[in-house]
Amino acid sequence: MEVRPILSTLFRNKTAPLLIAAQVALTLAIVANSLYIIRERLASAARPTGLDEPNIGWINLSPVGEVADPKTMQEVDLNTLRAIPGVRSATWANMIPLSQSGWNSGGMSLKEGDNDSGINSAHYFSPGSLVDTFGLNLIAGRDFTADDVFDHDPEQGSALPKTVIISKALAEALLPNEADLGQLVGQQLFNATEAPVTIIGIVDRLQTPWSNEGADGEQSYILPIRYLVGSFQYAIRTEPGQLDRVMKEAADQLSTLRSDRVLNSQRTFAEIRASRYANETLMAGLLIAVTLFLLLITASGIVGLSSLWVNQRRKQIGVRRALGARRIDVIRYFLVENMLITSGGVLLGLLLTLALNQVLVRQMEVPRLPAEYVGFGMVIMWLLGVASVLGPALRAARVPPAVATRTV
Amino acid sequence: MIRMNKLSKVYRTHMIETHALRGIEIDVQPGEFVAVTGPSGSGKTTFLNIAGLLEEHTGGDYFLDGVNVTGLNDNQRSRLRNEKLGFIFQGFNLIPDLNLFDNVDVPLRYRGFNAAERRRRIEEALAQVGLSARIKHYPSELSGGQQQRVAIARALAGSPKVLLADEPTGNLDTQMARGVMELLEEINARGTTILMVTHDPELAARAARNVHIVDGLVTDFVRREAPSLVAVA
Ligand SMILES: Nc1ncnc2c1ncn2[C@@H]1O[C@H](COP(=O)(O)OP(=O)(O)OP(=O)(O)O)[C@@H](O)[C@H]1O
Ligand SMILES: [Mg+2]
Repeated sequence: MEVRPILSTLFRNKTAPLLIAAQVALTLAIVANSLYIIRERLASAARPTGLDEPNIGWINLSPVGEVADPKTMQEVDLNTLRAIPGVRSATWANMIPLSQSGWNSGGMSLKEGDNDSGINSAHYFSPGSLVDTFGLNLIAGRDFTADDVFDHDPEQGSALPKTVIISKALAEALLPNEADLGQLVGQQLFNATEAPVTIIGIVDRLQTPWSNEGADGEQSYILPIRYLVGSFQYAIRTEPGQLDRVMKEAADQLSTLRSDRVLNSQRTFAEIRASRYANETLMAGLLIAVTLFLLLITASGIVGLSSLWVNQRRKQIGVRRALGARRIDVIRYFLVENMLITSGGVLLGLLLTLALNQVLVRQMEVPRLPAEYVGFGMVIMWLLGVASVLGPALRAARVPPAVATRTV
Repeated sequence: MIRMNKLSKVYRTHMIETHALRGIEIDVQPGEFVAVTGPSGSGKTTFLNIAGLLEEHTGGDYFLDGVNVTGLNDNQRSRLRNEKLGFIFQGFNLIPDLNLFDNVDVPLRYRGFNAAERRRRIEEALAQVGLSARIKHYPSELSGGQQQRVAIARALAGSPKVLLADEPTGNLDTQMARGVMELLEEINARGTTILMVTHDPELAARAARNVHIVDGLVTDFVRREAPSLVAVA
């Protein structure tokens, strides 16, 4: 390989190659970091909630004025919903994952009075079976029966339930480093404010309405409560492929059932997810656009400089051809030269990438960049370099050897 | 060494066909020093370029060192140029960003010699043209005559059979031209065949053989016993 003479040529014409190398370095730093951020955001947005998402809808109505008998109303509504063809299960629930607002409890513990355990949990409750209606996966114990359910009127401070189903993430937080979580079934669960309840089941996953990063986003429990207020929010689970039609019928029927309430919203779970992660999706899109734009700019820089050099060196290329260079030798010359510049930029970019990541780790709570993203970024830059120089190099290879004698 | 039969070259551009060479017949023996003369536009450079495999002829046959080059592909022609031919240009055509060592090295790298062999050849070639002391210098630091000597060293380093020169002294003053001519004569004396295009009748007269091209035809060639003798018929 003719690396040394190419290097010495580059050293005698430093400015342009240095600019290109700097551009490659900068692009690498930004591309590697933003690829990682994009991946992180999209991966976070793609986390499962534990629900049978494609078949779940959420419908919400507000009463106009006082509601006389909420218990009857819930029953009538639910009977109406369950009668719609294609409905597999429907129930009242206080909240649903990814909705970004809801109930939360702190100080979860297996011991009484341990209010500072630091373990939080989303506080779901429903008079029906969320295991059924959300489509949760029960991995230990049992689901609620009608006997577990307590009517609760917050204004009368009536009796509270005695049983609870918890999520695996909450179980793991309560019993860290313990393989057999099933032993929790039958144990008492305490929290900072309410009476203890007995754990009767564990579900594999149930994300919180806030779906935070990490285990925190999956620490949840469900209480069997019939909440006697005039708030009408129903989760519906349909047979596969029926959701859109069922949601429309459900909205129609619930609206016509009574005139003293208005339909707030009727959303499929896909819509809830989309609005929960709208920012992430937007940010990923922006970063992708910026990344592509940068790559394009850098590629143009390389194409531009290489083209300029091919034109400036036409005579020299002809002379090299006259002296015995084959076309492939000319192509190789430009590829090697570009590789050297790109590699210089990539090495510089490696430092820049890590520095930028440092800043992001500190300022934006972005996790440390894994090595494979740096490696991937480097490969992209090298490929970009080769792809950009290929056109000009092929043009150089077409310079006829007669140029050596024909032009001055 | 160089044998051409009814060799012709037609340039086709847009509408115009230029018959640059029209049936050249020539047979240059190994070790000959041939000066090619003729009026401007007569086809001298075309002839030299075809002889040097820089351009392809459009008719007839060309045998270089016994090899029929008609129909060889680009790679084969490159290899032949590299192994059998050395070029000297009017404008020197050194690579400005490479020092003398690296300039002479260019054809040797294409040849695939190992580093030690290349170094030996570079040093020997530069010594032969009297520029050993300047091995790390760049072309811009040399006079025209010196640059042409480097070009000669570059042409010689691969031990070519034929040296092709298109007006090698065209850009030099008389004194430097004479120096270069003497160097070429030395090289020829050691057995290398030389084909040199020149406008300078004095230099042409020093060559053992003159080929005169007019209007794409070899109209006249003269062989004489000694360069010091009388004028051309
Ligand atoms: N690439 C080309 N395309 C078309 N015509 C060409 C080309 N190269 C040369 N010619 C024509 O071929 C003829 C011979 O040109 P050539 O360069 O061989 O002349 P020359 O004898 O070397 O002239 P000079 O003494 O001026 O260098 C000229 O008429 C020239 O215009
Ligand atoms: Mg000419």
